[in-house]
Amino acid sequence: MAIIELKHVHYAYGVGTSFEKQALNNISFSVDPGDFLAIVGHTGSGKSTLIRHLNGLLRPDSGQVFIHGKDLWSQMKDRRSVRFQIGLVFQYPETQLFEDTVGKDIAFGPKNMGLNEQEVKQRVQEALAFVGLDASYLERNPFRLSGGEMRRVAIAGVLAMRPSVLVLDEPTAGLDFDGRALILQQLEQFRIKSGAAIILVTHNMDDIAEHAQRVIVLHEGRMVLSGTTASVFSEADILKQCGLDVPQITRVLIKLKERGLPVRTDAITLEAAEREILKLFREGG
Amino acid sequence: MARDLTVGQFLPGHAIMHRLDPRTKILLTFFFIIQVFLAKSTVSLCFLIILLFLFIFFARLSAGKVFRAVRPMIPVIVFTALINIFYVPGDSVLHFAFLHITKQGLFTGFTLFVRLTVLIVGCSLITYTTSLNALAAGLEQLLSPLAHLRVPVSELSMTLTITLRFLPSLSDEFEQIVDAQKSRGAFFDQGSPIRRIKSYFPVLIPLFMSAFRRAFELANAIECRCYHGGKGRTKMNTLHFAGRDIAAFLVFTALFFLTIIFNFI
Repeated sequence: MAIIELKHVHYAYGVGTSFEKQALNNISFSVDPGDFLAIVGHTGSGKSTLIRHLNGLLRPDSGQVFIHGKDLWSQMKDRRSVRFQIGLVFQYPETQLFEDTVGKDIAFGPKNMGLNEQEVKQRVQEALAFVGLDASYLERNPFRLSGGEMRRVAIAGVLAMRPSVLVLDEPTAGLDFDGRALILQQLEQFRIKSGAAIILVTHNMDDIAEHAQRVIVLHEGRMVLSGTTASVFSEADILKQCGLDVPQITRVLIKLKERGLPVRTDAITLEAAEREILKLFREGG
Repeated sequence: MARDLTVGQFLPGHAIMHRLDPRTKILLTFFFIIQVFLAKSTVSLCFLIILLFLFIFFARLSAGKVFRAVRPMIPVIVFTALINIFYVPGDSVLHFAFLHITKQGLFTGFTLFVRLTVLIVGCSLITYTTSLNALAAGLEQLLSPLAHLRVPVSELSMTLTITLRFLPSLSDEFEQIVDAQKSRGAFFDQGSPIRRIKSYFPVLIPLFMSAFRRAFELANAIECRCYHGGKGRTKMNTLHFAGRDIAAFLVFTALFFLTIIFNFI
């Protein structure tokens, strides 16, 4: 059974004023255990509004949100417990750190779950290991860490709740190439080891090309495209209309094809593109 | 983002009230406040109420919405009016133990109720029809003569403009941090008062950190552009009085004297 299922979700801001804006328009999709789903869209496409519906921070104007088959707004009494199952990591999560040690900050979520001290401690260490930091960080002041380390501590704060779906809003924003690759790789490891699903919200196509299985494209509150990563990237024209781009490597292949070379343009990862180009040399040579 | 109309939320529009010069609106609001406190008789109070509806009409706002936004203030207004009912000496109408209700007291209470409601609604109109930046610019120009008295008007207005500029950012950030901590299971507004205050620490600490970070960044950015006080700075959009502003002044002066005349009827 799907962990999260959205059915015809609509949401508008500023109803009845001149600021009224339909932020979400008829959104439906579902997430199964172990999924790696990417939600992409330009600024203002409704991405951030959408993820706030996944753990009950916002209530849809119409439509339903099901968590494990139960309607979040009519069949569940304890909506707070949903937030432990659907872990939400906001944009620039390092700005939400507040404790004086890394350990205490990561423990905030597990403590709110009402776990005992032993369990909390174990989860903090486990979460810290997932983001590639060792136990020496536990007693350090989070505000003295580097930007990348702070981000990883903040993500660990959500991982420590052992969510069955992890939702991340632009987790790689403002990081350099190595920082990006590291965080994505750690998230992928978390997904494989824990069996949790990951929803990655981004406008960076290169981020999702390597890892995402499915992609949803949002444009002005509507779902424009939805499908496997390769099928979405093959719609380069629609993506362009939404202010998005295909991964850099796919762009190279499209240009090659435009020059009349027989390459397939649905290769989205570096390895696949490499094979495609090498094939060209073999056939040509 | 707030989903309901709140007191003071600017609503862009093109009604006559929107197009008046902010200086005109500030001065006329002061006029209006004085007028409200000069109105003494039933007739002039009713006149004020009619005026208020006319203003709302000229601002193209819905009266229902404007009054609904004042609702949170009603307990305060009623309380003030009630106190007066009991404390004004005069001809007794009703008395119970040490409480005396007098005719004069009832009238004063009623007067206060009308005055305060009209006052709050009237003052809220300027913020509905004027953007905060326009208000700040208007205030700066109105206060600019004070610069001769060594009042740092341009620095004050710079501070005010920066504050106004960053209030929405801070409020967005506040909401985002609240959402983030809620997503980690934080709950607010539950339990004992001390617990409630403590529950806001995870929000307030990041908010202060970010406010300081922004302040440092902004200070650097301002300095990098060679800002050194506001002396001699010019404006991109200068304010100009138009014919409608003069008309508004004339109309308000007439209304002002009408209110005083109605006091004697």
